[in-house]
Amino acid sequence: MTDHKTGTRDEWLAARLELLEAEKQHMRQGDELVRRRQELPWVAIEKEYVFETDDGRTTLAELFDGRSQLLVYHFMFGFGFRVDEQNPGCTGCSFVADHFDGVRPHLNGDDVTLVAESIAPLEQLHAYAERMEWTFPWVSSLGSDFKYDFGAAFTEEQQRNGAEYNFRHVDAPPPQREGMSAFAIDHGVVHHSYSTYDRGVEQLMGTYRYLDLAPLGRKEEAPAAWWRRHDEYEEAR
Amino acid sequence: MTEHRIGTQDEWEAERGELLKEEKELTRRGDELTRKRLELPWVQVEKEYSFETEDGTKSLPELFDGRSQLLIYHFMFGPVYEAGCTVCSSITDTIAANVPHLAARDVTMMLVSRAPLEKLLAYRERMGWSLNWASTVGDDFNRDLGFVNTPEELRPFLEGDIPPVVEQMAKASGTDAAGYVAEGPGLSAYALSDGAVYRTYVTTARGLEPAMGYYGLLDRAPRGRHEQGEAEHWLRRHDEYADAV
Repeated sequence: MTDHKTGTRDEWLAARLELLEAEKQHMRQGDELVRRRQELPWVAIEKEYVFETDDGRTTLAELFDGRSQLLVYHFMFGFGFRVDEQNPGCTGCSFVADHFDGVRPHLNGDDVTLVAESIAPLEQLHAYAERMEWTFPWVSSLGSDFKYDFGAAFTEEQQRNGAEYNFRHVDAPPPQREGMSAFAIDHGVVHHSYSTYDRGVEQLMGTYRYLDLAPLGRKEEAPAAWWRRHDEYEEAR
Repeated sequence: MTEHRIGTQDEWEAERGELLKEEKELTRRGDELTRKRLELPWVQVEKEYSFETEDGTKSLPELFDGRSQLLIYHFMFGPVYEAGCTVCSSITDTIAANVPHLAARDVTMMLVSRAPLEKLLAYRERMGWSLNWASTVGDDFNRDLGFVNTPEELRPFLEGDIPPVVEQMAKASGTDAAGYVAEGPGLSAYALSDGAVYRTYVTTARGLEPAMGYYGLLDRAPRGRHEQGEAEHWLRRHDEYADAV
């Protein structure tokens, strides 16, 4: 027998319906935040950012690839969780990025382009993407202020003296952190509309959504302790 | 110039900071719901269900594939469908990435539908998916969870004004509204303990949005889902978009 509390179907249903009310309320609160998110003012971007891409050097406006909205995932490369010379992509960011190719056609179909950016040479990103079997656009922001300006990388000076991460002061930030920024282009002008960091990125990780519905949940001994690159799990070998 | 309200960096940061507080509260409230979900009583599944799979006929305990937890997505693909439901297809596009990570947490994730196995496998090949998909033997498995509707149950719905989106999705699956809504979408969760299977959780309708990864991203894009007032739903199968990648 299981140690978990068991019940009749009626007992389960009563508890489930009570939870459903709470789930619906939570979803409506989420809808309200989506509305608020879209009401944030947009900030016009006047600085020129240049990226190395498969199609050569491109501007931020060109990353939209003809669509009106752009989501940029700030992917930690060369620094991060379980990173070494053979495994240069952060394990957590790799976990997030595993979710991109499945959603990409649907985002594109709704006028949204999704790309990842990292401060690393493009050929290193290509090699890692090939190993991971990813096809989403991944651009190099090496030499650009982009990742720093959008709060996902920190200069040596900031690492010593502190900086803002996730909209609050951090005394000694690491060289890079995870995050995602959203942009809109209108009449040729690029605007920054939204950025999210830290657990805000969990919203992009479908696996957690499923684990939260599974019988035993996340059961994490320590946050992130179980994460591996998808080709590193015992069963994948 | 854009018609959207424009602000300075400082104005944006002030409003973003306010929103962040509420986003954090929503995340914590979500954590609390997850905790409550784990506290639901488990209900032993005593009925013997069977499924046709690529590896032959299997029982519900066998679908766990050696793991202790099982998540089943009830994919709308009825016997009369010519192609799988478009919305379920978009959900399935986002499931594949989760499979290795869920397996690492001792969770098996798969699809179940009422259409014959060969129909499911042919469609799976078109979509380029590789996850396990089983066909139910008899209707009970989906019916017991309310994911199969009888013509009598559907009569009030079918005699009313059928929403255009239902007509659109029915047509995309090569059937009519009555054939399409005979199936219902859902997600059900099971635990296996000492050889006994327990049903722990079932959800449907907007409860499935967590499985629709693109909504999480669209909800953070500048214009959001912008679905209101559109004559036709924008969603397509991934190989049907004009600029299919």
